[in-house]
Amino acid sequence: MHCEPFEYEKPVSLREFESLYAARADDARILAGGTDLMVLIKEKLLAPRLLIDISDLHELRGISWDPRQGLTIMAGTKIAEIERSTLVKEHAPALAYAAANLGSNQVRWMATMAGNICHASPAAETPPVLLAHDCELIIGRQGGERTLPISRFFLSYRKTALESGEYVKAFRLPPLPARAAVAYRFKGLRRAMEIDMLNIGAYLELCEDGQTVSDVRLAMGSVGPTTYRAAVTEKKLKGMPIGEDFFAAACGGVVQEATPIDDVRASAEYRNRVIGVLTRRALEECLEIIGARRSAA
Amino acid sequence: MKKLVKLEINGENFDVAITPTAYLIDVIRETVGLCGTKKGCGIGDCGACTVLIDGKPTLSCITLAVACTGKAITTIEGLSKGTELHPVQRAFIDKGAVQCGFCTPGMVLSSKALLDENPHPTQDEIKSALAGNLCRCTGYAKIIEAVEYAGQLLSGEVVHEQA
Repeated sequence: MHCEPFEYEKPVSLREFESLYAARADDARILAGGTDLMVLIKEKLLAPRLLIDISDLHELRGISWDPRQGLTIMAGTKIAEIERSTLVKEHAPALAYAAANLGSNQVRWMATMAGNICHASPAAETPPVLLAHDCELIIGRQGGERTLPISRFFLSYRKTALESGEYVKAFRLPPLPARAAVAYRFKGLRRAMEIDMLNIGAYLELCEDGQTVSDVRLAMGSVGPTTYRAAVTEKKLKGMPIGEDFFAAACGGVVQEATPIDDVRASAEYRNRVIGVLTRRALEECLEIIGARRSAA
Repeated sequence: MKKLVKLEINGENFDVAITPTAYLIDVIRETVGLCGTKKGCGIGDCGACTVLIDGKPTLSCITLAVACTGKAITTIEGLSKGTELHPVQRAFIDKGAVQCGFCTPGMVLSSKALLDENPHPTQDEIKSALAGNLCRCTGYAKIIEAVEYAGQLLSGEVVHEQA
Protein backbone atom coordinates (compact mmCIF):
# COMPACT_ATOMS: atom_id res chain seq x y z
CA MET A 1 0.00 0.00 0.00
CA HIS A 2 1.42 3.36 -0.97
CA CYS A 3 1.53 6.07 1.61
CA GLU A 4 2.95 9.54 1.56
CA PRO A 5 6.55 9.45 2.77
CA PHE A 6 7.22 10.60 6.28
CA GLU A 7 10.28 10.80 8.46
CA TYR A 8 10.52 8.92 11.72
CA GLU A 9 12.26 10.01 14.91
CA LYS A 10 12.44 8.22 18.21
CA PRO A 11 13.69 10.58 20.91
CA VAL A 12 15.36 8.87 23.87
CA SER A 13 14.38 11.43 26.51
CA LEU A 14 11.43 13.65 27.29
CA ARG A 15 13.62 16.72 26.88
CA GLU A 16 14.69 15.63 23.40
CA PHE A 17 11.08 14.88 22.49
CA GLU A 18 9.84 18.28 23.68
CA SER A 19 12.43 20.24 21.72
CA LEU A 20 11.84 18.18 18.58
CA TYR A 21 8.08 18.59 18.87
CA ALA A 22 8.40 22.32 19.56
CA ALA A 23 10.39 22.72 16.35
CA ARG A 24 8.18 20.54 14.17
CA ALA A 25 4.71 20.64 15.77
CA ASP A 26 3.02 21.89 12.62
CA ASP A 27 3.95 18.99 10.37
CA ALA A 28 4.65 16.29 12.95
CA ARG A 29 2.40 13.82 14.70
CA ILE A 30 3.10 12.03 17.94
CA LEU A 31 3.15 8.25 17.52
CA ALA A 32 2.22 6.49 20.76
CA GLY A 33 0.35 3.28 19.96
CA GLY A 34 -0.57 4.04 16.37
CA THR A 35 -3.87 2.17 16.44
CA ASP A 36 -5.71 5.30 15.28
CA LEU A 37 -2.86 7.30 13.74
CA MET A 38 -1.46 4.59 11.45
CA VAL A 39 -4.95 3.71 10.22
CA LEU A 40 -5.64 7.38 9.39
CA ILE A 41 -2.32 7.56 7.52
CA LYS A 42 -3.04 4.34 5.64
CA GLU A 43 -6.48 5.59 4.70
CA LYS A 44 -4.88 8.86 3.54
CA LEU A 45 -6.87 10.99 5.94
CA LEU A 46 -3.65 12.32 7.42
CA ALA A 47 -0.26 12.93 5.84
CA PRO A 48 2.19 14.08 8.50
CA ARG A 49 5.77 14.78 7.41
CA LEU A 50 7.27 13.48 10.63
CA LEU A 51 6.25 10.86 13.17
CA ILE A 52 7.76 11.24 16.63
CA ASP A 53 7.68 7.90 18.39
CA ILE A 54 7.23 8.31 22.16
CA SER A 55 6.32 4.70 22.86
CA ASP A 56 9.54 3.90 24.71
CA LEU A 57 9.86 7.12 26.74
CA HIS A 58 9.87 5.73 30.26
CA GLU A 59 9.21 9.20 31.70
CA LEU A 60 5.74 8.97 30.16
CA ARG A 61 4.87 5.54 31.57
CA GLY A 62 3.41 4.41 34.84
CA ILE A 63 0.52 4.65 37.27
CA SER A 64 0.82 6.00 40.81
CA TRP A 65 -1.43 6.87 43.75
CA ASP A 66 -1.16 9.63 46.28
CA PRO A 67 -3.91 10.01 48.92
CA ARG A 68 -4.05 13.80 48.41
CA GLN A 69 -3.43 14.10 44.67
CA GLY A 70 -5.21 10.95 43.63
CA LEU A 71 -4.42 8.64 40.78
CA THR A 72 -1.82 9.72 38.24
CA ILE A 73 -1.62 7.89 34.93
CA MET A 74 1.21 8.92 32.66
CA ALA A 75 0.17 9.55 29.07
CA GLY A 76 2.18 6.76 27.45
CA THR A 77 0.72 4.03 29.67
CA LYS A 78 -0.86 1.29 27.59
CA ILE A 79 -4.62 0.69 27.81
CA ALA A 80 -3.84 -2.94 28.73
CA GLU A 81 -1.78 -1.73 31.70
CA ILE A 82 -4.66 0.49 32.87
CA GLU A 83 -7.04 -2.46 32.47
CA ARG A 84 -4.84 -4.66 34.68
CA SER A 85 -3.59 -2.10 37.21
CA THR A 86 -4.57 -2.87 40.80
CA LEU A 87 -4.36 0.86 41.59
CA VAL A 88 -6.84 1.69 38.81
CA LYS A 89 -9.13 -1.17 39.84
CA GLU A 90 -9.13 0.12 43.39
CA HIS A 91 -9.46 3.87 42.82
CA ALA A 92 -11.15 4.11 39.42
CA PRO A 93 -12.80 0.75 38.66
CA ALA A 94 -15.02 2.28 35.96
CA LEU A 95 -11.89 3.33 34.10
CA ALA A 96 -10.45 -0.20 34.30
CA TYR A 97 -13.78 -1.46 32.95
CA ALA A 98 -13.86 1.03 30.08
CA ALA A 99 -10.23 0.18 29.25
CA ALA A 100 -11.05 -3.54 29.20
CA ASN A 101 -13.81 -2.87 26.68
CA LEU A 102 -11.73 -0.81 24.26
CA GLY A 103 -10.90 -2.40 20.91
CA SER A 104 -9.25 -5.81 21.06
CA ASN A 105 -6.50 -7.26 23.20
CA GLN A 106 -3.95 -6.35 20.52
CA VAL A 107 -5.26 -2.78 20.32
CA ARG A 108 -5.16 -2.48 24.12
CA TRP A 109 -1.51 -3.57 24.24
CA MET A 110 -0.63 -0.98 21.61
CA ALA A 111 -2.88 2.00 22.36
CA THR A 112 -2.61 4.65 25.05
CA MET A 113 -5.26 6.68 26.86
CA ALA A 114 -3.66 9.93 25.65
CA GLY A 115 -4.12 8.68 22.09
CA ASN A 116 -7.73 7.80 22.88
CA ILE A 117 -8.52 11.36 24.03
CA CYS A 118 -6.33 13.24 21.52
CA HIS A 119 -8.04 11.45 18.64
CA ALA A 120 -11.14 13.20 20.10
CA SER A 121 -13.70 10.83 18.69
CA PRO A 122 -17.13 11.34 20.26
CA ALA A 123 -17.45 7.54 20.51
CA ALA A 124 -14.21 6.95 22.44
CA GLU A 125 -14.39 4.77 25.55
CA THR A 126 -12.28 6.58 28.11
CA PRO A 127 -13.49 10.23 27.84
CA PRO A 128 -16.87 9.66 29.56
CA VAL A 129 -15.16 8.06 32.56
CA LEU A 130 -12.46 10.73 32.70
CA LEU A 131 -15.13 13.45 32.54
CA ALA A 132 -17.13 11.71 35.27
CA HIS A 133 -14.00 11.70 37.44
CA ASP A 134 -13.44 15.39 36.60
CA CYS A 135 -9.93 14.38 35.64
CA GLU A 136 -7.22 16.98 35.37
CA LEU A 137 -4.91 16.83 32.38
CA ILE A 138 -1.28 17.76 32.65
CA ILE A 139 -0.34 19.32 29.34
CA GLY A 140 3.35 19.47 28.53
CA ARG A 141 5.37 21.59 26.14
CA GLN A 142 8.99 22.57 25.79
CA GLY A 143 10.03 24.37 28.96
CA GLY A 144 6.79 24.07 30.87
CA GLU A 145 3.44 22.53 31.57
CA ARG A 146 -0.09 23.56 32.48
CA THR A 147 -3.10 21.79 33.89
CA LEU A 148 -6.49 21.72 32.24
CA PRO A 149 -9.72 20.14 33.46
CA ILE A 150 -10.78 17.54 30.93
CA SER A 151 -14.17 19.27 30.71
CA ARG A 152 -12.36 21.97 28.70
CA PHE A 153 -10.32 19.63 26.49
CA PHE A 154 -12.76 18.57 23.77
CA LEU A 155 -13.63 21.57 21.60
CA SER A 156 -15.50 19.95 18.72
CA TYR A 157 -15.38 16.88 16.49
CA ARG A 158 -11.73 15.73 16.53
CA LYS A 159 -10.61 19.11 17.89
CA THR A 160 -8.90 19.47 21.24
CA ALA A 161 -7.66 22.39 23.31
CA LEU A 162 -4.02 21.42 22.70
CA GLU A 163 -2.04 24.27 21.22
CA SER A 164 0.83 23.92 18.79
CA GLY A 165 3.74 22.15 20.49
CA GLU A 166 1.64 20.92 23.40
CA TYR A 167 1.01 17.30 24.28
CA VAL A 168 -0.88 15.37 26.94
CA LYS A 169 1.63 14.36 29.58
CA ALA A 170 -0.47 12.82 32.36
CA PHE A 171 -3.96 12.27 33.74
CA ARG A 172 -4.77 13.05 37.34
CA LEU A 173 -7.95 11.64 38.84
CA PRO A 174 -8.69 13.28 42.22
CA PRO A 175 -9.49 10.91 45.10
CA LEU A 176 -13.21 10.10 45.33
CA PRO A 177 -15.04 11.36 48.44
CA ALA A 178 -16.35 8.67 50.79
CA ARG A 179 -19.94 8.71 49.53
CA ALA A 180 -19.16 8.97 45.82
CA ALA A 181 -18.74 6.58 42.90
CA VAL A 182 -18.25 6.53 39.14
CA ALA A 183 -19.83 4.07 36.71
CA TYR A 184 -19.56 3.51 32.96
CA ARG A 185 -22.17 2.06 30.64
CA PHE A 186 -21.96 1.57 26.87
CA LYS A 187 -23.91 0.09 24.02
CA GLY A 188 -22.35 -1.38 20.91
CA LEU A 189 -23.45 -3.61 18.08
CA ARG A 190 -21.09 -6.45 18.97
CA ARG A 191 -19.28 -7.58 22.07
CA ALA A 192 -15.81 -6.66 20.84
CA MET A 193 -13.97 -4.55 18.28
CA GLU A 194 -16.96 -2.29 17.94
CA ILE A 195 -17.29 1.46 18.12
CA ASP A 196 -19.78 2.47 20.79
CA MET A 197 -23.11 3.72 19.50
CA LEU A 198 -23.58 5.27 22.93
CA ASN A 199 -21.68 5.50 26.15
CA ILE A 200 -21.97 7.34 29.44
CA GLY A 201 -19.87 8.02 32.48
CA ALA A 202 -21.73 8.94 35.66
CA TYR A 203 -20.48 10.39 38.93
CA LEU A 204 -22.73 10.42 41.95
CA GLU A 205 -21.95 11.90 45.34
CA LEU A 206 -24.36 11.77 48.26
CA CYS A 207 -24.67 14.05 51.28
CA GLU A 208 -23.89 12.77 54.76
CA ASP A 209 -27.49 11.58 55.18
CA GLY A 210 -26.87 9.07 52.38
CA GLN A 211 -30.17 10.12 50.79
CA THR A 212 -29.59 13.48 49.14
CA VAL A 213 -27.57 14.10 45.98
CA SER A 214 -24.72 16.45 46.75
CA ASP A 215 -23.08 16.33 43.31
CA VAL A 216 -23.54 14.54 40.02
CA ARG A 217 -21.75 14.48 36.66
CA LEU A 218 -23.12 12.86 33.53
CA ALA A 219 -20.76 12.59 30.54
CA MET A 220 -22.32 11.33 27.33
CA GLY A 221 -20.55 9.91 24.28
CA SER A 222 -21.79 9.43 20.72
CA VAL A 223 -24.66 11.86 21.10
CA GLY A 224 -22.87 14.93 19.77
CA PRO A 225 -19.67 16.11 18.09
CA THR A 226 -17.65 15.43 21.25
CA THR A 227 -18.14 13.65 24.54
CA TYR A 228 -19.74 16.25 26.81
CA ARG A 229 -21.47 16.70 30.13
CA ALA A 230 -25.20 17.21 30.54
CA ALA A 231 -24.54 20.38 32.52
CA VAL A 232 -28.14 21.63 32.85
CA THR A 233 -29.34 18.26 34.10
CA GLU A 234 -26.44 17.97 36.53
CA LYS A 235 -27.45 21.29 38.12
CA LYS A 236 -31.11 20.26 38.40
CA LEU A 237 -30.23 16.99 40.10
CA LYS A 238 -28.16 18.53 42.87
CA GLY A 239 -30.02 18.50 46.17
CA MET A 240 -32.66 16.01 45.03
CA PRO A 241 -33.42 13.02 47.27
CA ILE A 242 -32.58 9.65 45.75
CA GLY A 243 -35.77 8.12 44.40
CA GLU A 244 -37.90 7.69 41.33
CA ASP A 245 -38.16 11.47 40.76
CA PHE A 246 -34.39 11.72 40.70
CA PHE A 247 -33.97 8.93 38.13
CA ALA A 248 -36.78 10.33 36.00
CA ALA A 249 -35.22 13.79 36.06
CA ALA A 250 -31.79 12.37 35.16
CA CYS A 251 -33.07 10.26 32.25
CA GLY A 252 -35.37 13.00 30.95
CA GLY A 253 -32.61 15.56 31.30
CA VAL A 254 -29.95 13.69 29.33
CA VAL A 255 -32.42 13.02 26.52
CA GLN A 256 -33.07 16.79 26.40
CA GLU A 257 -29.37 17.59 26.27
CA ALA A 258 -28.31 14.81 23.88
CA THR A 259 -27.99 15.86 20.23
CA PRO A 260 -27.49 12.55 18.44
CA ILE A 261 -27.46 12.03 14.69
CA ASP A 262 -28.44 9.08 12.50
CA ASP A 263 -25.37 7.18 11.36
CA VAL A 264 -24.19 3.68 10.47
CA ARG A 265 -24.20 2.56 14.08
CA ALA A 266 -27.64 3.73 15.25
CA SER A 267 -30.48 6.12 14.55
CA ALA A 268 -30.88 9.33 16.49
CA GLU A 269 -34.26 8.10 17.71
CA TYR A 270 -32.75 4.92 19.12
CA ARG A 271 -29.92 6.84 20.76
CA ASN A 272 -32.38 9.24 22.37
CA ARG A 273 -34.26 6.33 23.88
CA VAL A 274 -31.28 4.36 25.08
CA ILE A 275 -29.16 7.19 26.51
CA GLY A 276 -31.76 7.59 29.26
CA VAL A 277 -31.69 3.88 30.01
CA LEU A 278 -27.89 3.84 30.21
CA THR A 279 -27.95 6.89 32.47
CA ARG A 280 -30.31 5.17 34.89
CA ARG A 281 -28.20 2.01 34.93
CA ALA A 282 -25.00 3.96 35.48
CA LEU A 283 -26.51 5.95 38.35
CA GLU A 284 -27.97 2.79 39.89
CA GLU A 285 -24.53 1.22 39.75
CA CYS A 286 -23.04 4.29 41.48
CA LEU A 287 -25.63 3.89 44.25
CA GLU A 288 -24.84 0.21 44.59
CA ILE A 289 -21.12 0.89 44.89
CA ILE A 290 -21.68 3.60 47.50
CA GLY A 291 -24.07 1.31 49.41
CA ALA A 292 -21.68 -1.62 49.32
CA ARG A 293 -18.85 0.55 50.58
CA ARG A 294 -20.99 1.83 53.45
CA SER A 295 -22.06 -1.61 54.57
CA ALA A 296 -18.45 -2.79 54.37
CA ALA A 297 -17.27 0.13 56.53
CA MET B 1 15.24 7.12 2.11
CA LYS B 2 16.17 3.64 3.24
CA LYS B 3 17.85 3.11 6.55
CA LEU B 4 19.57 0.05 7.93
CA VAL B 5 17.49 -1.29 10.81
CA LYS B 6 18.21 -4.20 13.15
CA LEU B 7 15.28 -6.47 13.89
CA GLU B 8 15.24 -9.48 16.20
CA ILE B 9 12.77 -12.00 14.87
CA ASN B 10 12.36 -15.38 16.57
CA GLY B 11 15.69 -14.90 18.34
CA GLU B 12 17.57 -14.25 15.12
CA ASN B 13 19.02 -10.86 14.13
CA PHE B 14 18.22 -9.37 10.75
CA ASP B 15 19.70 -6.22 9.26
CA VAL B 16 17.12 -4.84 6.87
CA ALA B 17 17.28 -1.78 4.65
CA ILE B 18 13.86 -0.15 4.88
CA THR B 19 12.11 3.23 4.61
CA PRO B 20 10.38 4.70 7.68
CA THR B 21 7.02 3.99 6.06
CA ALA B 22 7.57 0.21 5.90
CA TYR B 23 5.08 -1.72 7.98
CA LEU B 24 6.28 -4.63 10.06
CA ILE B 25 4.02 -7.12 8.28
CA ASP B 26 5.56 -6.29 4.89
CA VAL B 27 9.11 -6.44 6.21
CA ILE B 28 8.46 -9.81 7.88
CA ARG B 29 6.87 -11.26 4.76
CA GLU B 30 8.68 -9.59 1.88
CA THR B 31 12.09 -8.59 3.19
CA VAL B 32 12.79 -11.31 5.74
CA GLY B 33 10.72 -13.88 3.86
CA LEU B 34 8.70 -15.35 6.73
CA CYS B 35 5.27 -15.80 5.16
CA GLY B 36 3.49 -17.41 8.12
CA THR B 37 2.21 -14.03 9.26
CA LYS B 38 -0.90 -13.19 7.25
CA LYS B 39 -2.14 -9.87 5.98
CA GLY B 40 -5.90 -9.57 6.15
CA CYS B 41 -7.57 -6.18 6.41
CA GLY B 42 -4.39 -4.10 6.63
CA ILE B 43 -5.98 -1.62 9.05
CA GLY B 44 -5.79 -3.42 12.38
CA ASP B 45 -9.29 -4.88 12.53
CA CYS B 46 -8.94 -8.59 11.73
CA GLY B 47 -5.94 -9.76 13.74
CA ALA B 48 -4.53 -12.04 11.02
CA CYS B 49 -1.23 -10.13 11.17
CA THR B 50 -0.80 -10.59 14.94
CA VAL B 51 2.79 -11.12 16.09
CA LEU B 52 4.21 -10.96 19.60
CA ILE B 53 6.41 -8.00 20.43
CA ASP B 54 8.15 -8.48 23.77
CA GLY B 55 5.49 -11.12 24.41
CA LYS B 56 2.51 -8.84 23.77
CA PRO B 57 0.09 -9.44 20.89
CA THR B 58 0.61 -6.68 18.34
CA LEU B 59 -0.94 -5.85 14.97
CA SER B 60 1.98 -5.88 12.55
CA CYS B 61 -0.02 -4.23 9.75
CA ILE B 62 -0.25 -0.93 11.63
CA THR B 63 3.17 -1.15 13.30
CA LEU B 64 6.16 0.53 11.72
CA ALA B 65 9.09 -1.84 11.35
CA VAL B 66 11.54 0.91 12.20
CA ALA B 67 9.85 1.24 15.60
CA CYS B 68 10.69 -2.38 16.49
CA THR B 69 14.44 -2.04 16.89
CA GLY B 70 15.57 -3.47 20.19
CA LYS B 71 12.40 -5.49 20.68
CA ALA B 72 11.90 -9.26 20.52
CA ILE B 73 9.49 -10.13 17.70
CA THR B 74 7.91 -13.58 17.65
CA THR B 75 6.11 -14.83 14.55
CA ILE B 76 4.35 -18.16 14.09
CA GLU B 77 7.61 -19.61 12.71
CA GLY B 78 9.21 -18.97 16.09
CA LEU B 79 6.94 -21.21 18.13
CA SER B 80 7.94 -24.73 17.15
CA LYS B 81 11.28 -26.23 18.04
CA GLY B 82 12.36 -27.83 14.77
CA THR B 83 9.62 -30.30 13.95
CA GLU B 84 8.28 -30.31 17.50
CA LEU B 85 5.16 -28.19 17.60
CA HIS B 86 4.36 -25.78 20.40
CA PRO B 87 1.51 -27.11 22.61
CA VAL B 88 -0.84 -24.39 21.29
CA GLN B 89 -0.15 -25.51 17.71
CA ARG B 90 -0.57 -29.15 18.76
CA ALA B 91 -3.90 -28.34 20.40
CA PHE B 92 -5.21 -26.49 17.32
CA ILE B 93 -4.50 -29.59 15.21
CA ASP B 94 -5.83 -32.12 17.73
CA LYS B 95 -9.07 -30.19 18.23
CA GLY B 96 -9.67 -29.48 14.54
CA ALA B 97 -9.41 -25.74 15.12
CA VAL B 98 -7.92 -25.07 11.67
CA GLN B 99 -10.16 -24.68 8.65
CA CYS B 100 -8.82 -22.50 5.82
CA GLY B 101 -5.93 -21.59 8.10
CA PHE B 102 -5.64 -17.91 7.28
CA CYS B 103 -6.49 -16.69 10.79
CA THR B 104 -4.56 -19.52 12.48
CA PRO B 105 -1.13 -17.90 12.94
CA GLY B 106 -2.73 -14.86 14.59
CA MET B 107 -5.08 -17.03 16.65
CA VAL B 108 -2.20 -19.21 17.87
CA LEU B 109 -0.07 -16.21 18.85
CA SER B 110 -2.96 -14.45 20.64
CA SER B 111 -3.65 -17.73 22.45
CA LYS B 112 -0.02 -18.12 23.44
CA ALA B 113 0.04 -14.58 24.86
CA LEU B 114 -3.11 -15.34 26.83
CA LEU B 115 -1.82 -18.64 28.24
CA ASP B 116 1.53 -17.07 29.16
CA GLU B 117 -0.37 -14.56 31.30
CA ASN B 118 -3.21 -16.79 32.45
CA PRO B 119 -2.52 -20.55 32.22
CA HIS B 120 -6.12 -21.54 33.03
CA PRO B 121 -8.44 -19.08 31.31
CA THR B 122 -12.21 -19.41 31.45
CA GLN B 123 -14.15 -19.59 28.19
CA ASP B 124 -15.07 -15.91 28.59
CA GLU B 125 -11.44 -14.97 29.11
CA ILE B 126 -10.50 -16.90 25.96
CA LYS B 127 -13.24 -15.15 23.99
CA SER B 128 -12.07 -11.79 25.23
CA ALA B 129 -8.41 -12.50 24.43
CA LEU B 130 -9.30 -13.68 20.91
CA ALA B 131 -11.92 -11.01 20.20
CA GLY B 132 -9.48 -9.22 17.92
CA ASN B 133 -8.84 -12.30 15.77
CA LEU B 134 -11.53 -12.90 13.18
CA CYS B 135 -12.14 -16.36 11.72
CA ARG B 136 -14.31 -16.01 8.62
CA CYS B 137 -14.75 -19.80 8.47
CA THR B 138 -16.43 -19.11 11.87
CA GLY B 139 -14.69 -22.02 13.56
CA TYR B 140 -14.70 -20.33 16.93
CA ALA B 141 -16.11 -23.21 18.99
CA LYS B 142 -13.21 -25.49 18.05
CA ILE B 143 -10.69 -22.70 18.53
CA ILE B 144 -11.90 -22.00 22.07
CA GLU B 145 -11.82 -25.73 22.81
CA ALA B 146 -8.26 -25.87 21.47
CA VAL B 147 -7.10 -23.02 23.72
CA GLU B 148 -8.57 -24.74 26.79
CA TYR B 149 -6.83 -27.96 25.73
CA ALA B 150 -3.56 -26.08 25.10
CA GLY B 151 -3.72 -24.80 28.66
CA GLN B 152 -4.02 -28.38 29.90
CA LEU B 153 -1.13 -29.52 27.67
CA LEU B 154 1.08 -26.67 28.89
CA SER B 155 0.37 -27.38 32.55
CA GLY B 156 0.93 -31.10 32.04
CA GLU B 157 -2.63 -31.99 33.13
CA VAL B 158 -3.01 -33.94 29.92
CA VAL B 159 -0.34 -35.43 27.69
CA HIS B 160 -0.56 -35.43 23.92
CA GLU B 161 -0.55 -38.95 22.58
CA GLN B 162 1.32 -39.58 19.36
CA ALA B 163 -0.98 -40.97 16.69
